[in-house]
Amino acid sequence: MMPLPREERTQQVARDDSRPNGLGEDVVSAARSNRRDGSAGLVAKNRSENDPKYAIELKDISKYFGSLAALHPTKLAVNRGEFLTLLGPSGSGKSTLLNLIAGGSGPSTGSIFLDGRDITRMPPRERGIGMVFQNYALMPHMTVFENVAYPLRARHFDRSAIRAKVTEALDRVGLRGLEDRKPRQLSGGQQQRVGIARCIVYAPAIIMMDEPLGALDKNLREQMQGEIKRLHKDLGTTFIYVTHDQEEALNMSDRICLMSLGAIAQLGTPDDLYFRPRSRFVAEFIGESNIITGRVEGNGRMLVSGNETFLVPHEKRSTGSELTVMVRPERVRICGSAESVTTGENVLDGEVVGTAFVGGTTRVAIQCANGLHMTAKMMSDRLATRPAAGDQVRVCWSSIDTVTLDS
Amino acid sequence: MNMTSSIRATAIFMSPAALIAIFIVMPPLLYVVYTSVNGLAFSLDLYADVVASKLFRQTLITTFVISGISCFVSLVLGFVVALHLASQPARRRAILLGLVLLPLWTSILVKCFAFMVLLGREGVINSILSWAFDAHIQLPMILNRIGTLIGMINWQVPLVVLPILASLLAIDEAVYRAASIMGAKPARIFWTVTVRLSLPGVLAGLLSIFVMSLGSFMVPALLGGPKDLMLSNLVDYYSRQVLDWPRASTISVILFAISVSFAAPLALWRRSRRI
Amino acid sequence: MTDIIDDPLQRRYRAVGTALAVSVYVFLLSPLVITIPMAFGTANTLTFPPTEFSLDLFRTFFNSPGWVNPLLNSIKIALATTSLSLFAGTLAAYWLVRREFLGRALITGVIMSPLIVPSVISGLGLYLYFSYFRINSSTLSIVLGHIMVVLPFVVVMIMAGMNKLDRNLEFGAELMGAGTIRMFVTVVLPQLVPSLVSAALFAFLSSFDEFILSWFLSGPDTITLPVRMYNALNWEVSPVIAAVSTLMMALSLVVCVAAISLRKATPADG
Repeated sequence: MMPLPREERTQQVARDDSRPNGLGEDVVSAARSNRRDGSAGLVAKNRSENDPKYAIELKDISKYFGSLAALHPTKLAVNRGEFLTLLGPSGSGKSTLLNLIAGGSGPSTGSIFLDGRDITRMPPRERGIGMVFQNYALMPHMTVFENVAYPLRARHFDRSAIRAKVTEALDRVGLRGLEDRKPRQLSGGQQQRVGIARCIVYAPAIIMMDEPLGALDKNLREQMQGEIKRLHKDLGTTFIYVTHDQEEALNMSDRICLMSLGAIAQLGTPDDLYFRPRSRFVAEFIGESNIITGRVEGNGRMLVSGNETFLVPHEKRSTGSELTVMVRPERVRICGSAESVTTGENVLDGEVVGTAFVGGTTRVAIQCANGLHMTAKMMSDRLATRPAAGDQVRVCWSSIDTVTLDS
Repeated sequence: MNMTSSIRATAIFMSPAALIAIFIVMPPLLYVVYTSVNGLAFSLDLYADVVASKLFRQTLITTFVISGISCFVSLVLGFVVALHLASQPARRRAILLGLVLLPLWTSILVKCFAFMVLLGREGVINSILSWAFDAHIQLPMILNRIGTLIGMINWQVPLVVLPILASLLAIDEAVYRAASIMGAKPARIFWTVTVRLSLPGVLAGLLSIFVMSLGSFMVPALLGGPKDLMLSNLVDYYSRQVLDWPRASTISVILFAISVSFAAPLALWRRSRRI
Repeated sequence: MTDIIDDPLQRRYRAVGTALAVSVYVFLLSPLVITIPMAFGTANTLTFPPTEFSLDLFRTFFNSPGWVNPLLNSIKIALATTSLSLFAGTLAAYWLVRREFLGRALITGVIMSPLIVPSVISGLGLYLYFSYFRINSSTLSIVLGHIMVVLPFVVVMIMAGMNKLDRNLEFGAELMGAGTIRMFVTVVLPQLVPSLVSAALFAFLSSFDEFILSWFLSGPDTITLPVRMYNALNWEVSPVIAAVSTLMMALSLVVCVAAISLRKATPADG
């Protein structure tokens, strides 16, 4: 028989994965086949078109502790090679979701598919997933080299393959030369790089990161964000990233899954979530927002308190029904009383009640004549030309910047 | 002024303990050493004599053999218990820990009595065996090496559980999760994480029960036979039956030196870890 | 539960571990469990399980001066030992935790040394030492000996309690003008009460159960309960010993339960 080219050989192994039993052995043997390939290990291989569509697919999984729902029945499909972020406040269910994928515990209902195979009840070690922890979770008694070699030793790689792969992984995270240090001799950033290296070293099908930068200070965090993004691009592996930091999520993700109270609040690209939030929760969690409530008047208008009407995007809801809309503060302009207003713009008179100068931008709080509070955000000017408390102003915003929210 | 007031305060707080240290704790040891070297004559003849004696050598070997075996077995059993305790939820752990602490704080005499009843020729176990096999079974399980070891182990297991449990509970739970996600099987995790990271507790526990077992007295005296006498029993024999105080003192000093040689590394190591 | 991931490998290890652990628990507790029913057997024979239950053995125990006198001696000695070692130990523990002073390491070493010195050596040494003052066989000699072995326990326990206290409270009291002793009595002691109670309980129990020093130091009139019991075990295994054992165990149980309930849920340390 002719030796198969490399690509096809791994494919075959991948297809074997659909066998009902001994799935774990296959993960190991897939890894073993890499050994023969030399150093081509860390970058995810191109899969054929026969492969299942999603890297991870969650079908109606839920997690209950007694009658308390940590995660309501949830559907989620992660595309191959995607960088997906689970974002949400603490207790929103994002860590529960991650834990279910990692196999820390089983779901109460539903099933989880990894590359098309059902891993719902599979022990963590057989899933072939990689994970980076917030507090690093490095083996304190092992050197950097031993830590990174750990998953390879668990897979019975031979010595030379281990050395080659560990060296490559340490190269990627920029830790060459620190092989013999113990974790406690490293800085927090370096420890997390070890955590990342030992995760990418065995080329897991997906890599999950549980608030990996949470313990680092701001500057280092931003630098590491860039490095993780680059790593994702180089490796082509599916990343699932958990954070409660919205800027981190917006900066890094292909898609963001925003969670609240054990359910998905909205799933979409960073742009979707920022510019087209579906609910009030999403609008308020991501970025700042002015929320305006009122009733539909028809004809692209809404009626708010003080008998004012605002122009809003065309609304299908029936006249008189309740309506909640949102405008981002940076879309609200403060205009002089003389300035003419273009069509499609809403205008309100008001008085500045306070300003917050936070560097590049200045936030201005305005009490409007009809009782509405509005916040406007503008590029900072010098103190003399900035609006000041007590100034009488007009605020305007365009109806196309107004987003209708589900109530 | 401040200096003197602080010295006065130190005197007030420390003097009762200092008096005890100076007048009760120190003198006995000095007295034993003094007696063993024949007072100011400072003669080491007795040491030479004791070390040459067959009875002493035999007892020394017995002491090390019994201590070594019992400590090793206690360590294994204690590790099993500590592992089980560490894997329990906190509430149940507290209750189970009580089951370990109660024997720890029960007099060795009580346990020796119980083992006499359990293991004696007409004891509970022999009765059960006789009934089960319908024969008159009288396995000799006390007044010999087996009885001594059982008694010693029963006494040492609770002592070794606590330091091991403390080390096990100090292991970051995320390390276990990380290891299993990275593909390690339970056996590998057990050796590379659990055992490896509990070594400090294991070592501390092992050394401390070994030092204590070197000086054990009641178990060999009550559950052992004539061949199971340990150094403490030899001291007792020379001082209370032969009334040879200098010889008893000499053996005491040797026992003390052996104990310190094992306890000192433990103390130094603990101090270095604390810093 | 459906929520648990069933890992056959892990389950097997767990089952083996639990089975082993349970057998060790049985091994540790069987000597304690077995004495109790025997204590309620009849006075004539030592059988397990006893055929009929009675309080005969306890009656025998409390009616025989040969047992009651040692019991009273032990209680007297344990009470004296507890109060004296608690007094000295509390003051010393406070100072050792909070202050740095000349000779601190030395005095700590001496106070703690009975933890590693085999009791036989202390027993022989105290016997020779007290012979010089002709106070052998007296209650005083036994109390002093017991203080020596109980003090390190008291100091360790109170130091552990001290380490949990907030030092700023003491500092604050001194800033408000309290002298060291007033501050100690009004701020430190009240907070230390749980540690003091459990230290006192364990001091009493240690002294009450102490055997080797009493064995060297006691005379015909000052024999303690453990010494009496040792003698009894050496001569004949009489059924009364089951009753004595049960009483001693009951004391251990009371002390353990009290100490655990005092400490609430900090199970890791002994």
